[in-house]
This record gives sequence, structure tokens and C-alpha cells, in this order.
Amino acid sequence: MAQVIQVPTLNDTAYDFERLFAIWSQVNSYSEDVRFDFSHCDFLRPNAVAFLGGLARLIGWRFGSVEFDWGTCTNSAVMANLCQNGFAGTFGHSTSAWTGNSIPYREDEIQNMDGITDYLTESWLGRKWVHVSPLLRDAIVGHMWEIYSNAFEHSGSEIGVFSCGQHFRRNNELILSVVDFGQGIPAKVRNFLSSDPRAEQLTAASCLRWAFQSGNSTCTDDIARGLGLDLLRKFIRLNQGKLEVYSNNGYVIIDKNGDRYENRGISFEGTLVYITLRCDENLYSLKGE
Amino acid sequence: MIQRLNEEIKHMKLTIKDMIGPRCIIKEDGQRVYDAIHDALIRRETVVLDFTGVSQFASPFFNFAIGQLLKDIKEANLRSLLQIENLNETGTMVVERVIENAAKYHGDKDYRKIVDDILEQQAKESE
Repeated sequence: MAQVIQVPTLNDTAYDFERLFAIWSQVNSYSEDVRFDFSHCDFLRPNAVAFLGGLARLIGWRFGSVEFDWGTCTNSAVMANLCQNGFAGTFGHSTSAWTGNSIPYREDEIQNMDGITDYLTESWLGRKWVHVSPLLRDAIVGHMWEIYSNAFEHSGSEIGVFSCGQHFRRNNELILSVVDFGQGIPAKVRNFLSSDPRAEQLTAASCLRWAFQSGNSTCTDDIARGLGLDLLRKFIRLNQGKLEVYSNNGYVIIDKNGDRYENRGISFEGTLVYITLRCDENLYSLKGE
Repeated sequence: MIQRLNEEIKHMKLTIKDMIGPRCIIKEDGQRVYDAIHDALIRRETVVLDFTGVSQFASPFFNFAIGQLLKDIKEANLRSLLQIENLNETGTMVVERVIENAAKYHGDKDYRKIVDDILEQQAKESE
């Protein structure tokens, strides 16, 4: 008999992320069949959509079966959103995605450079809700690529990377969430430093702080790296956006007020990146524009 | 794709859009460029990389294409031998950061020192 997971209303506050990770924990300790029930869900942000999609693939990869019980999704706005962004169609519903405020749900098992950059260029930024020059659009895509590059190169995720976004007209915000179910940045940093037994004492927040410093990388192939997260951080701060990363039990938020690194009470195995860009062209600038 | 401009003075010019395409973002493409130019630079030949028509850039490409050249070519020599043309503002910013990062990179990492530094920061935060 399948375990039934109640999907609650999931927004993007710290509490909502904790609820998402609690679902991961519930599923992680149960490796058989799972059914997602939407009876109590009145709203799902893209972070939740990307996370649930990835979680479903993780269960499948572990030879469990997953069912999204669309009959329980009685909130018409939630159902319309999940149909519009292609999530419902991906997981057994008969509708096809259509263009609206949603940015499609996307799964990439391997690093598909053109597919992902086309997604960012056309589906995320190219929909006329952010009025940016082609030069700036390409700069944003390059910075977002750093997230995907990190996920594919460092996470060790066996099932790939999951993305979803949305444009919120009311707040004039553009959101992108990228999730992997790899080992997580703190675990990777501790493993990298494991020749020193004290590495086990490093907190998740400390590991994240180290990983975000320019030039720091866990790669051991003798090629200098470690710029991606720093480049992304500088861009986000320059343009008054917001970057949040949840990885294991670590959390970092980067916005116009600076960087804050925290240890959280709940953990998940993987990394979730949540980016908020404000759709005000005056906030976006390159030096030469 | 690779054009010998003048055999006498040993110039090489790569048109990156023809060789890689309009996106220079992944390390595999960076490695292709590195493989094409490394030996010429070691022979102290001038290499020109023309980025006309390339619009998207990310650090993995430049880490492999250019950053790793600094393993056996000094920064000053690289800057005099490698000519980068028609690179847009974003690409210029990324490549400059990559060269700066690679120039101060030390392959032999002191893991104990890294742990010391993180623990010191951690202790400060818990005070």
C-alpha cells in the first residue's frame, strides 16, 4: 500500500522550505510507493514544484513508484498552474503545457547546455516581462548558468537537476528555482577537507560561507576555479535581486543587505537555489549601458 | 577555423564562434580552445581569439580555455602573446576574474590551513 504524502500549501518562507524538507525526510525513510495528495494545497510556488518533481524522480530512481493524485487537486488555481507549467503533464495528467505567467517545469538528467540556456533565454527572460537589452539578457543567462554548472559538476546528483520558475505580476518579480538531490554543498566541503578530522566539526553555515568565497573550490584537478557563486552573488547584489540557497542544513541569503549564513534545524540531501529578480529595468545595469 | 596568418611570424587566429558557437559557458568547450592554443603559446607564438558573434559567457569555459594556461605560462607572457578580440563586456569581466584567480592559484592545497581558517571564522560567529 502506498504511503500518502499530503502536499500542503507551499509558499517561499523559511517555514515553507522546512515543510518541503520534511516531505523529503518522510519519503527518504520510506523507499517504496508514494502517492501525493493535494487536498490541502491552496498554492504552490515554483520552489515546491521543482522540489516535488525531483523528489518523484528520486523515488523512482530508488525503484519506488510515485503517483500524483490529480483527483485530489480541487483547487482550480493550483491545478491550472501545474497544468500550465507542464508539471501535471509530466506526471500523468492528460493536459499539455501552455504559455502564461508560468515558466515551464524542467528536468535535466544530464548537462544539456543548449536546452537549459534556451530555457533561460526564451522561457524565463524572453517573455517581455523583464525589459532588458540583449547584452544584459545574455549576461543574466551566463550568471544563471553558473548554478547549473555547479549542480552538474559538483553535486553528484544521480537524477539530474530540476527547475521551475514563475513571473508574479503583482510583485513584479521573476523567480527561478533549481534543485538537485546530490550530496549538498556542506557535505561536499567536509568531504573535500576530510584529511583533517576536524572537518567533521565544520557547520553547514561555515561550509557554505567558504564555498561562496571567490577562488574556493572542492575540485582537485589542479585547475583554478571557484568563481561561479561569487560572480552570481555580485550580480544579484548589484541588481537588488535575492539569492537563497538551502543545502543540507545550511542556508544562505544574499541580497542588497549583504550575505547571511545560517544553520537550520532541518536538513535535506541536496541543494535548492531560489533566485528572485525584480522586473524593473532601471535596477539592471551593466557598466557600459 | 584555425588560420595561420603568417608562417614567418607564427600567428594563429581562432574564430571562436566557428569553433564553439555563440555560447562559451562549458568547460568541455574551454578545453577544446586550450588544446588548440596551448602548444603555440608555449612556442611563444602569438594567438588571437576572436569572439565576434559569441554572446553568452560563464566561468567554466574560461577556467579551462585560459585559466589553466597559467599553469605553465607566466601571466605577463600570456597577456603579451594572447590577444582577445571582440569580447563583450560580460565576457571581458569574466575572463579578467578568471586570469586573476588562476594567477594566484596554488594547486598544492593546505587542507589543514583551510580547516583552521573556517574554524576560526566559526568561533568568531559563535561568540
